[in-house]
Amino acid sequence: MNPKEAARRRWARLAWIYGLLLAFGVFFVGPFLMGFLASLKANPLEWPFTLSFAQVRPKNWAAAFRLGGMGAGDPWLGGMRPGREVTLEVAYFSREAAPPELAATIPRRKPGAGMGAVFESPYAADYVRLTGPTLVARQPARLGQEEGYVYRYRLRIAYPGKGPYLERVPLDLEAPRGALLVEATLDPTRFERRGRVASWDNVAPGLLGYVFHNYVRAFRETRSLETGQSLFLRWTLNSLFLSLVKVLTTLVFASMAGYALARLRFPGRQALFLFMLFSMMVPGQVTFISNYLVLKDGIFGLSRLFGVETLLNTYAGLILSGLVGAGAVFIMKQFFESIPREVEEAALIDGATPLQTLFRIILPMSTPALGALSILTFQGTWNEFFWPFVVLTSPREIYTLPLGLLSFRNAYGQVGDWGLILAGGFFSMVPVLILFAAFQRYFVEGVSVGAVKE
Amino acid sequence: MRLKARTLEALYALFLLLPFLFTLLVFFLYAFLRAAYFSFTDYDLFSPPRFVGVENYLRLFREPLFLTALKHTLAYSLVVTALQTLFALLLAIALNRPLKGITAFRTVYYLPSVISTAAASLLLLWLFQRTGLVNQGLSFLLAHLPHLLSLGLLFLAFQGAQVAWARRRGEGVAFFDPALALLSLPLALLATYALGLFGVIGAQEVRVEIPWLPTTATFLGIPYPLWAIILMNTYTTIPTFMVLFLAGLKGIPQSLYEAAALDGASPWVIFSRITVPLLRPVLFLVVTMGLIGTLQLFDQVLFVGGSGGAPLEATITLAYYVYGNVFPSGAAPRVGLASAAALFLAGLTLLVVLLQRRFGVSERGWAG
Repeated sequence: MNPKEAARRRWARLAWIYGLLLAFGVFFVGPFLMGFLASLKANPLEWPFTLSFAQVRPKNWAAAFRLGGMGAGDPWLGGMRPGREVTLEVAYFSREAAPPELAATIPRRKPGAGMGAVFESPYAADYVRLTGPTLVARQPARLGQEEGYVYRYRLRIAYPGKGPYLERVPLDLEAPRGALLVEATLDPTRFERRGRVASWDNVAPGLLGYVFHNYVRAFRETRSLETGQSLFLRWTLNSLFLSLVKVLTTLVFASMAGYALARLRFPGRQALFLFMLFSMMVPGQVTFISNYLVLKDGIFGLSRLFGVETLLNTYAGLILSGLVGAGAVFIMKQFFESIPREVEEAALIDGATPLQTLFRIILPMSTPALGALSILTFQGTWNEFFWPFVVLTSPREIYTLPLGLLSFRNAYGQVGDWGLILAGGFFSMVPVLILFAAFQRYFVEGVSVGAVKE
Repeated sequence: MRLKARTLEALYALFLLLPFLFTLLVFFLYAFLRAAYFSFTDYDLFSPPRFVGVENYLRLFREPLFLTALKHTLAYSLVVTALQTLFALLLAIALNRPLKGITAFRTVYYLPSVISTAAASLLLLWLFQRTGLVNQGLSFLLAHLPHLLSLGLLFLAFQGAQVAWARRRGEGVAFFDPALALLSLPLALLATYALGLFGVIGAQEVRVEIPWLPTTATFLGIPYPLWAIILMNTYTTIPTFMVLFLAGLKGIPQSLYEAAALDGASPWVIFSRITVPLLRPVLFLVVTMGLIGTLQLFDQVLFVGGSGGAPLEATITLAYYVYGNVFPSGAAPRVGLASAAALFLAGLTLLVVLLQRRFGVSERGWAG
């Protein structure tokens, strides 16, 4: 084979490999991307699944931004405030020379299903006044093979007087048979009754309220029955708080225990290490029964000294029962053993105690391991499901995000509100994805370090 | 009085280990022993436990739900471990080359494995709805079966013609010569497109609406909802194990491959005689981790079940069986029975570990 031929073959093989890599990439990211796109749609289960829908069209972004500004002075989240006015233009195609009779209504539509249905929020229909649709223009036009006219209408929605802030102002526009909606300031959310009724969920949505409407709903519609605060926001903050606390306790206590196991001599060291390895292999389903009872009694009644009857449904219980995991200790022990002993010898000769050596000399050298441990712990706690599920049962305000997602799924799964469910799922991934994007090396390395942990 | 240095060091160790010992002793050792104790009693959380011997263990095997859970757990564990090990290994071998931009690809592949089981379960629920993306994808494939068939046949035809032509000119090319295949593929794509354009082949009307979740129907003895969980979890765990395999592959000396290439060894021989034997420690580790992780399947069962989801008897696993007996809805807790099931699960896990210790190589091999 001549060298030119061989080179050509090498290039071709490279091209195949990259093609394969790309195909794998589509396989691994595809479902996420599709799920994310679906979470923006009004109907995530539409058949056939389309990639071009109202929420991804820049024309609608601009309109939503403008309308949100008109309705509430808030181009991002939109809505309507007293004294404001929104105008909307629509264009219908009809073969008839006479303009089609349109009927516009502000429906009394309850926001959401499931948890959202519990709350009576003000109905826009009770506060706003609709003027129109008024015909503003008529032009001869062709639609496909058909000759006809395009009729332009203007709708004016005003909110006179005083009243509450309206999160959304829905609109239904019914056209007679033969009239076809060809253009609108803002594309309707959906068509009903065989396309005769164009329906808007919100005519003044704002940019975020339009593109990420399911996400905004996730925050707005899950509210506490007592306080009316957003539960979804609470769950997010709870998860954030717990994850940060757990990172902190793990960093301190795993370094301490890891150092003792790696460097100090004491009776039973080897036995302790083996026992620790054993503890990592026993499934959580074995220990949770007793741990549940221990927390219920406030750790042998110790919590009563602080006036707490039970540690169930408290973060104190959750934190105390998971101060430091064996896997974290294992990682730190392995890391400390990789540091040469000479580093500490000078300090020991100067008469430094093990504590001083650990905190003054060893830990400052251990930033890579501590960084990896922080990220793994954060991810682990953020994603943890089983144990918080056992400990935190009521009220719903104390749930962590994964538990919240389960109650989400149960509240909205029955009615099939998949946009909301997907939005919740994707929102919960955000912090971990940010961490992953910033420190992906640690994640990938953590797998090999934590290999024994699983 | 001065403490002896040894004693002092041990005291320091005790102090440093104190928080860890607290969690280890209270929330592991005590809990483990108590679960073992409960498993020999009829404890129900309310009345004091009464010793019943091995009755709970015997009773487990008379409980149809436990046997279902056991069957599901074993089937799930074996299928997922087999699939994820195979695909992770193949992917790692494909990725184990000094290519430009390979890190970016690895990062992208790793994405599915960083998310929570809760979020993954929600995605699963959406994907496997009756009009979900999985059924839509299957419908699309089936509808375009003529196109796929013609694409395959045309590719083979173009490739065959090119190879025959090259061989006539006296060039020794293999049938799947990459350079020629690179030309055959677009030709076949174009030709298929043209055939579709002229109406020789057309898409069929196919609408697959498999009810993946709300069903107890089985395929190969495994219920549909469990298959959905199997597919989803294989998909999210492949990257994790791929990374382990990659670390292992780095440890194999390149000279072995060069020697094999000089001897003219085929890719299969290289794979089965060099890669797999030298990867044995990692392979064992991956299989062990896979088995241990999958034996504890719980979260997905909870998410996939529930309102409008899969019936419990189609998805129940051992871990869920344990939980369900401690916190049953509308019945008395059967902690004794649950503890026995939990210990049985722990026994399975330890068995896997022991088998690895016995037949695998200790963890020295995998660190890479």
